[in-house]
Formats: sequence, C-alpha cells, structure tokens
Amino acid sequence: MADYREAPLATRPKTLDPNEYFNLSPDYRRAEAERAALRAGLKRQYQLQLNNPHRKELIEDPALNRWVYARANPYNHFKATKKTSLLGALFGVAPLFILYYVFKTDRVRLYRRTTYCQCIADQALDVG
Amino acid sequence: MLKILIPTLFLLPTTWLTSSKWLWPTALTQSMLIALGSITWLNNTTDTGWTALNSYIGTDPLSTPLLVLSCWLLPLMLLASQNHLSSEPMNRQRMYITLLATLQLFLILAFGATEMIMFYVMFEATLIPTLLVITRWGNQTERLNAGTYFLFYTLAGSLPLLVALLMLQNSTGTLSLLIIPYAKPLLLMPFGSKIWWAACMIAFLVKMPLYGMHLWLPKAHVEAPVAGSMVLAAVLLKLGGYGMMRLMIVLDPLSKEMVYPFIVLALWGVIMTGSICLRQTDLKSLIAYSSVSHMGLVAGGILIQTPWGFTGALILMIAHGLASSALFCLANTNYERTHSRTMLLARGLQIALPLMTTWWFIASLANLALPPLPNLMGELMILTSLFNWSAWTLVLTGIGTLITAAYSLYMFLMSQRGPLPQHMLALPPSYTREHLLMALHLIPLLLIILKPALLWGWFAC
Repeated sequence: MADYREAPLATRPKTLDPNEYFNLSPDYRRAEAERAALRAGLKRQYQLQLNNPHRKELIEDPALNRWVYARANPYNHFKATKKTSLLGALFGVAPLFILYYVFKTDRVRLYRRTTYCQCIADQALDVG
Repeated sequence: MLKILIPTLFLLPTTWLTSSKWLWPTALTQSMLIALGSITWLNNTTDTGWTALNSYIGTDPLSTPLLVLSCWLLPLMLLASQNHLSSEPMNRQRMYITLLATLQLFLILAFGATEMIMFYVMFEATLIPTLLVITRWGNQTERLNAGTYFLFYTLAGSLPLLVALLMLQNSTGTLSLLIIPYAKPLLLMPFGSKIWWAACMIAFLVKMPLYGMHLWLPKAHVEAPVAGSMVLAAVLLKLGGYGMMRLMIVLDPLSKEMVYPFIVLALWGVIMTGSICLRQTDLKSLIAYSSVSHMGLVAGGILIQTPWGFTGALILMIAHGLASSALFCLANTNYERTHSRTMLLARGLQIALPLMTTWWFIASLANLALPPLPNLMGELMILTSLFNWSAWTLVLTGIGTLITAAYSLYMFLMSQRGPLPQHMLALPPSYTREHLLMALHLIPLLLIILKPALLWGWFAC
C-alpha cells in the first residue's frame, strides 16, 4: 500500500488539513495520518470489490456480521447483574403474578355475581 | 380417507422410481392432485359430524380444515424447495421428497386419528422427518443445536402425555375420540388430578408453543430450510392446538382452576414476543416470533373453552398457517438472492422486484390481521370471547394487536421500502415458480373470506 495516494480532489480530515493543524501535537497528527491510511485501505478494498465485473455475490461486511451475531446470541453472553435481574423480574416474573391476581379476582367477582343473580332469580320465581 | 392415504403412501415409490428429468414435475403433480382431492373432505353432510369414519380414522369439522391445510402444503413445500435442492445429487433430492411425503402421511394420520394413542404416536412420529430435514439440509452450524432443542423440548413435554393417556385408557377402557367426551371423569386425589391435567396439556402447550416454553421455535424455524420452516409454522404448531382442543373435553371440571397460569403465560407471551419482533435483525427470526405471538392468542382462545374461543382458534390456526408459510417463502426468495437473512441487507426491494412486493404486501397485511381476511375473524372471535371471560384481557390483547400491526408493517417497510443497498448486483428477477408459490398460498386465504363457515369447526351455525 506504499504507493497509495488519496484522490486529488478528495477532502482531507480536519486534523490533516494544513490550515487547521498548527495547534495539534505531531504525535496526534501522526496518529491521524495512520488512521486515515487505514480507512483509505479499507475503502480501496471495498471499491475493488464493488467495481469487480465478475462479482456475483454480496460484499461481506465483517462489522455487520459481528453486529448480527451479537443481536442473535444474547443468551450466550448473558450475565446476571442488578440491572438485568431487575428487568427480568419486572417484565418476566411480576406480570405473571399480577395478571394471575387480576384475572382470578375478576373471575371470582363475576362468578359470585352470576350465582347471586341466579339465587335472586330463583327466589323470585319461587323455585324450590 | 383411503383415496388420500394411498396416493400419499405411493408418493414414496414415485420419488424413487421416476427418472431424474421427471422427478419434480411428477412429485408436484401427484401432491397437487392429493391436495385437490383432500378438499372434498370439507363437505360434512353427516348428522353426527364424523365423516369417512372407520375403526381407526375419521374426519370431523374440527380436523377437516387442518387436514386440508396439511395436504395443501405438500405441493407448496415441493415448489419452494426446488431451487435450493437443484444443486444436490439426485439421491439426496429423492430423500428430501421422501421425508416430506412421510411427514405428510404422519400428519394425515395424526389429524384423522380417532384413537388418542394413534394420535400420540403420529404426533411423535412427525418429529423424525422434521428433525432430519432441519439437521441435514439447514444452512448454518446452529442447525444441530436447533434440532436438539426442537426434539427434546417436544419429547420432554409429551412423555407425561403418554402416561396420562394410559391412565385414561385404564379408567375408561377406550380412548376413542367419539366416546371419551361421554366417559366419567378420572377420580384421583386432588393433587394427582392437577398433575394429570398438566400432563395432558403440557405436550401441546410446548408444541403450540406457549410463551415460557417457546425457545425451540425461533431456533428450529430459522435453521430449517424453507420447506421445513413452512411445515413447522403452518401445520406442526397446529398439531398442538388440535390436541388441546380434543383433550379439553375430557379434562373439564379441573380446567376451571388449572387454566389461569397458562392463559396468563399465553397472553403475556403475545405482548413479549411481539415486542421482541420489533428488535429482530433476522427476517426469519421475526416471522418465527410472530408465529409464537399468534399461537399465544390461539392458546388463550382454546384454554377458555367457549364455542367462540374454539371457533376463533381454529380459524386463526388455518389463516396463520397460510400467512406464515407465505412469509417464510418470501423470506426464502430473499435468502436465495442474497444468501443472508439480515433484513438490513435486503432493503428497498420494491424498486428491484416490484411484483414480489405485491405478495409481500398481501402477506404482511394478512399477518397483521387486516379485515376481511380470516386472520382478523379468528383474532376478533378470540378477543371477544376472552373479553367475555374477563374484561381485563382486553388490555393485553389490545396491546398485542397493536404490536402485531407494528412489527408486520416494520417487516414490510424494512424489506420493501427504503434505499436499495448499493452493492447488490446479481438479483435474478422473480421466477414464475415463486409467483405461483405465493399465489397458491394467498389465493386460498382470500377465498376463505367468501366462506369462512368451512373452517368454523363444530360450532358453525
């Protein structure tokens, strides 16, 4: 990659722009230049693949692959911290008990109301 | 019944004896003829409701829609698999078709069984071809894990069912579905009856799946090849619902107390799995979690044991079978072009493949239960019967409906709208085979709008 130069009309990052960099230390400038070279190398790789006339498949993006793997495999890297335990209890355990209580009280109330109404109706009609 | 069983059985010699040039057309034609023949079962004219009845098998308004669905699905599975199998050696292709045909056979025998032990044996037998399809023809290394989860969750759930059925057989002397509704209840100690109730239901609840025991489903659906995903989503989940509906009649007085935890899990699962759908990056995983969500509603509808609940559950099972299978086929058309299931990679497809967008649109609308599709009819019947059961369920089911609409639209917009990725070059245009596949999924769904009474089960009025 020693013969790589940037395109003649490409803009430089701020830290490589000669009008800006007089207040930056040489170490910082060197680090920025290295990072710019890395980025340029990646971009060259991408453009080689993009403009390859014999390419039939998708260009593989390792960052995308890592992100998709991370999203798809949370359980392998799960750790029981205070936050995760709280979330688990709040969304996984407590609603079950709360909903059971809500449904049970509602159903018991409905049952008592229907049997009470039935009882009143039976008395009114003088059913034995 | 024999006019469907014998051709299905003879699909096996057909696949091994036809020449390689005619294998797929022959298998397709034979399975399509079987499917068309199975539609005649929908005509229930007998007074008792049981048609095609003999000592072992019979059909009634509950099993007929599911039987027609499973027969209809075999030609669709063959159509969907044709492309990704074309690069395999001939014997493996024949093996694949054999596995699908044996699965079909076991499914017909399971739904048609009048004896519960036969249903149980066929219920277990369907696991084997599905396991072989997932672990042998899946695409990623995770398929082994997926097959293990699938097999062991279902087996662990169904061993107690075997014990429970044998106890019932001991006490009643028979397990025929025509007789056990009239049998006297099983007299056990109070705790023993609760265990017996749970043993009967857990197998089917794991298969449905119920929210707490659903971990096998996303793995199995995602790792399976397209035909495996189709049959899993469309029919195998419904085996659980069907089993529950059959056994509920026997379990009656106990169910008043025992159903509460399971209804709570089912309804909370609708919301939780719906929310997970909104965070998925993998398209097949999204469709798998949406299946769990819909089946949670079905489980809720069955567990409250009202006529409308059962009817809604049956209609939702059939409608979801067709819609979900259609979505898996669409996901497979994406996968065959990009070899990736990531949604971000296959965006903006409306520009590239506009005709497929029509099918994506209709399938997404079916998933979100748009009126007048039968998905809405099923959901609405379950919603209203749950509301009658207890008014508070409306909060959960209402939020669930909202989240369902959200993730179905999210899936549609993510895959069809937006910018097309710059680096996607070789997108073959949609094959006629794919259009035919989608049409055969969605046209029956649209036709059911005209006569949903075919699917109402025993309570068609």
